[in-house]
Amino acid sequence: MAARASARKSRAIHFSVSRFTARPEAPSLIFLALLIVALSASTPEFATVANLRGVLEQVAVVSIVALAVNQVVLAGEIDVSTGSLVAVCSFIYGDVATAHGEAWLALLAALMTGAVVGSINGALATYGRVPSIIATIGMLFILRGIVLLTAGAQVINLSADSRLFGAGTNFGIPTSLIVLATMFIAMYALSEHSAFGRDVYAIGGNPRAARTVGLPIYRVRWLTFVLSGLSCGLAAAVLLGQIGQLQATAATGFELKVIAAIVLGGTRITGGRGSNASPVIGAVLVGVILNALTLNRVPGSYELLVLGALILGAVAFDGCRQRLLGRGR
Amino acid sequence: MPAVILSRRLPRLDRNVGLALVLIVELVIISALVPGYFSLGGLFDASRQFAEAGLIALGMTLIIITGGVDLSVGSLLALVSVTIGFSYQAGLSLATAILAGVAVGALGGFFNGVMVTALGLHPLVVTLATFALYRGIAFAVSKANAVSNFPPWFAFFGEKTIAHLVPVQLVCFVLLAVGFSIVLGRTAFGRRLYAIGHNELTARFSGVNTAAVKIAVYTLTGCLVGLAGVIYTSRISSARANAGFGLELTVIAMVVLGGTKITGGSGTILGTVLGVLILSYLQDGLAFAGVRSDSGLIVTGAFLIVAVLLNERFRKEPR
Amino acid sequence: MSAPPFALRDLGKSFAGIFACRHIDLAVAAGEVLAVVGENGAGKSTLMKCLHGFHAPSEGCIEVDGAAVKFNSPRDAEAAGISMIPQELDLFAELSVFENLFVGQHRPRTRWGGFDRRGMQRRAKEILGSLGVDLDVSLPVKALSAANGKLVEIARALNRDARLIIMDEPTAALTEREAERLFAVIGELKAQGIAVIYITHRLEELFRISDRIIVLRDGALVASGLTANFDIPKLIHAMVGRPLEQFFARHPHPPGEIVLELRQLGRRGSFERIDLQLRAGEVLGLAGLVGAGRSELAQAIFGIAPADSGTIWIGGQPLRIGSVADAIAHGIAYLPEERRSQGLVLPFSIRENISFAALEHFTGWGLVDRRREGAFASDALRRFGIKGAGIDAPVEVLSGGNQQKVLIAKILALEPKIVVFDEPTRGVDIGAKSEIYAIIDELARQGKAIVLISSEMNEVLSIADRIMVLCQGEVTGMFSRSDFSAPAIGAAAAGQRAHHVC
Repeated sequence: MAARASARKSRAIHFSVSRFTARPEAPSLIFLALLIVALSASTPEFATVANLRGVLEQVAVVSIVALAVNQVVLAGEIDVSTGSLVAVCSFIYGDVATAHGEAWLALLAALMTGAVVGSINGALATYGRVPSIIATIGMLFILRGIVLLTAGAQVINLSADSRLFGAGTNFGIPTSLIVLATMFIAMYALSEHSAFGRDVYAIGGNPRAARTVGLPIYRVRWLTFVLSGLSCGLAAAVLLGQIGQLQATAATGFELKVIAAIVLGGTRITGGRGSNASPVIGAVLVGVILNALTLNRVPGSYELLVLGALILGAVAFDGCRQRLLGRGR
Repeated sequence: MPAVILSRRLPRLDRNVGLALVLIVELVIISALVPGYFSLGGLFDASRQFAEAGLIALGMTLIIITGGVDLSVGSLLALVSVTIGFSYQAGLSLATAILAGVAVGALGGFFNGVMVTALGLHPLVVTLATFALYRGIAFAVSKANAVSNFPPWFAFFGEKTIAHLVPVQLVCFVLLAVGFSIVLGRTAFGRRLYAIGHNELTARFSGVNTAAVKIAVYTLTGCLVGLAGVIYTSRISSARANAGFGLELTVIAMVVLGGTKITGGSGTILGTVLGVLILSYLQDGLAFAGVRSDSGLIVTGAFLIVAVLLNERFRKEPR
Repeated sequence: MSAPPFALRDLGKSFAGIFACRHIDLAVAAGEVLAVVGENGAGKSTLMKCLHGFHAPSEGCIEVDGAAVKFNSPRDAEAAGISMIPQELDLFAELSVFENLFVGQHRPRTRWGGFDRRGMQRRAKEILGSLGVDLDVSLPVKALSAANGKLVEIARALNRDARLIIMDEPTAALTEREAERLFAVIGELKAQGIAVIYITHRLEELFRISDRIIVLRDGALVASGLTANFDIPKLIHAMVGRPLEQFFARHPHPPGEIVLELRQLGRRGSFERIDLQLRAGEVLGLAGLVGAGRSELAQAIFGIAPADSGTIWIGGQPLRIGSVADAIAHGIAYLPEERRSQGLVLPFSIRENISFAALEHFTGWGLVDRRREGAFASDALRRFGIKGAGIDAPVEVLSGGNQQKVLIAKILALEPKIVVFDEPTRGVDIGAKSEIYAIIDELARQGKAIVLISSEMNEVLSIADRIMVLCQGEVTGMFSRSDFSAPAIGAAAAGQRAHHVC
């Protein structure tokens, strides 16, 4: 009698364990845990509050954008214009904040700018039938060109009030993390409890079936791009809050960190599989790895190499897994 | 009958004629608006810059025809340049260093091809990763330094001319363009590229080793990047890791402008060459007129999007 | 008498002037199972696509509850209560069972505004329960077997308040036990008053579950009535139509040496223990139902999906065929089942398609010799009677029959010794069909060894010298001309081993 009960219990435990490992973010979460343990043991400066807090603050900006671009990727597209868009939104924020002194007004301006650019990206990628990689790469360069031309060598310095969204703490928690948490909750609610959010998974997972069912594919994909643009506006406000000043070359290469965070977190690059926790875990993973490099005195010129290797490794791993699980004929 | 219009031949001829007209009109406008621009020497001189992108565009045309894409060419160029410079600095003879650079280019292309075929990964994702990886390696190796002390004969590739007028790299580009045009349009290999772009399954059922063909195309492009890297390093007499920034954008824009559909299955070398010329003379004219170089980014980005937009308008069914 | 819930009145659908089906009059009552049978190309799938809103009918109309309706898309048909379960699973693999049920549908919400997941799970379990099925509805669909996937699709249709469910070859990928379970579920559907249209080639099944049968042939409704009034020979006769002997006059030739031999050839998941001897000058028909493994066997011989056990012998030598290039080098040619997606490059011209597999023969000094290529293509046009355009026109302007002839010319360009035809007359008009039969006959006369895969009983009985029958990947019958009989072959295809198989 007792034997059967314990057998049932161990079966239940085994079942929930296998349930967990089947989740998309499981491999990266496990890897992150192992990495943290290893680093805490090998590098003494790693596990300090100051260091961890610094890592998390940096991770916050990437995560905010990654959460939104995650939806774009889940729906089967991609957005690599985020770096330049954050730069543009930063300048809008900076201009409005210096002109009017109102941080919330500046945030609104940045969000609107992001949304407008996002909807252009989305329109090109859906109704315009331009492959999203092309549209967003083109936009990446156009926006960067605009920023360089209009801002030039300008450096904007912000007043303390304008740094509302990234500086300081509230109840002991850094502001940027509060913004991230808010964003996460909002994305979770949208993704899990709205028809739009569920449609994103369906459209990315099986576009043909989605079309037969009659899902609004173009509209849903377009909306994910708008979300991505909005997140760039928000990230700009946080970034400015953290750094306090801004140059025309800001956030160069940022889009690569965002993509790395998304694929490392477990979202499938072809769409349809992933969760909202994935990009955040991925961003933390990228942040921790880069932090490990810095702490171990590896020169900054290695950062790009590491990012590229990580992205390649993550997609190769997922590709091998799909092959081995017999998706090939 | 609408089906006839879908024939590969008809619009290609029309489109190339249209592009040639655009080029002529553009040159006329530029020479009218920018005094002192139009001279034979000036036109040839501009080719110094576009030959590098043009060479790579030849290979990129083949890749896009098969339905793929390569976003890593700019970064690979940087890696080639750094290889040449730093292996020369490390003691290798310059000739060997040059060969090493070209070999690195071929290897980079080969790696892209293998990742795409062996693991079945989407070329977009693979080359996005190598876009970061290759430049990353370049930065790591060079530690953000540059090498500039090359012997004078090295300038042959990038700065010398033939008959005091025609730059060496232009001759190189023209010869290779002719060669590629023949391969693409007249050989079995070229036919297979178009077939793979239209319908890879049929190509496989017909006995084509699609994996080998794709790897060949990526490796070939890598070799072209190697060659372009030699010319570039020679031209600016410096090897550094931030070479070729934004080059992949320019190259893809040129190829698409020339009529190659981004989804694969169509495109010609002549079209690509016209695309190279149109985009390059536009940028060159702007630079000559004193417009800042940052505007080049905007122009190229806009051209890319508009070109694809117009191309894809004629696609039959949504993705 | 009240109007039937669903009816077709004089329905017809044409593509480019040619009718795929015409003058179809049909009524479906609530809770009835209507079986639709007919050979490939008889018009079944076109008819169902009209009913499901994928195509707009060219003639006639669809009536729902007595009123004529027009469907602009499958979504409209679903709203009217018509659901379709295609042969290939059309679910969202990464989403859970209950999520799949609610895709595109209104989802219940909790008091707090979020989706009521528990409510959705409960409803999913309820629906599946009403079918007598017990599944963990929170599992992702990719973790389910094909049979359970089918059940989820049925549940999805029920969640959309379907009153009519069209099932296309539902048992094609199922084991016998799974098929039994499906039949039980269909019984539950009947009890709930839901009508089912059941399309299948497996004639035995019909007698178990259907109330009425309709037979389509060449786009027309040729027979309809209660299942009790039919038997298998009667069905086959209705499907096939013409007296079997007059269909095509084949000139049997004395077979030559053994050219191809398969010994215990197998590929996990597709077929196993296939023994076969093929002689020069003979036509071997390969019969069986959809999913029997015939195309897989052909593709193993052709190197696309190589076998993993057993041996292939060609000309007396054991060989390893690991790629298409290997197969071609050994003189094997294969006409693929899907000519548009596997055989032809549609935007290419006729001459480019014909020469594509044999480009080496037309190149000199690395370049393609267009004159030689053109001569060969023109000759092929003449030899095979390809009409409709010149050699430089894109192949997509040709009719189905002429496209098929181009494909035949292409695979013969390499002068193979062994030719495997996979459904060569599918989607081909009558005139071109007999021309293709003549081509096959001529090839046999020339001493080539031919395998003819066909789901059309009549075709196989007329053309082949011998017939091998596969069922679920195994050989269930081997018939020589003297033993040819449609019922016996049909029985072997359904799984009953014939006496001749040792």
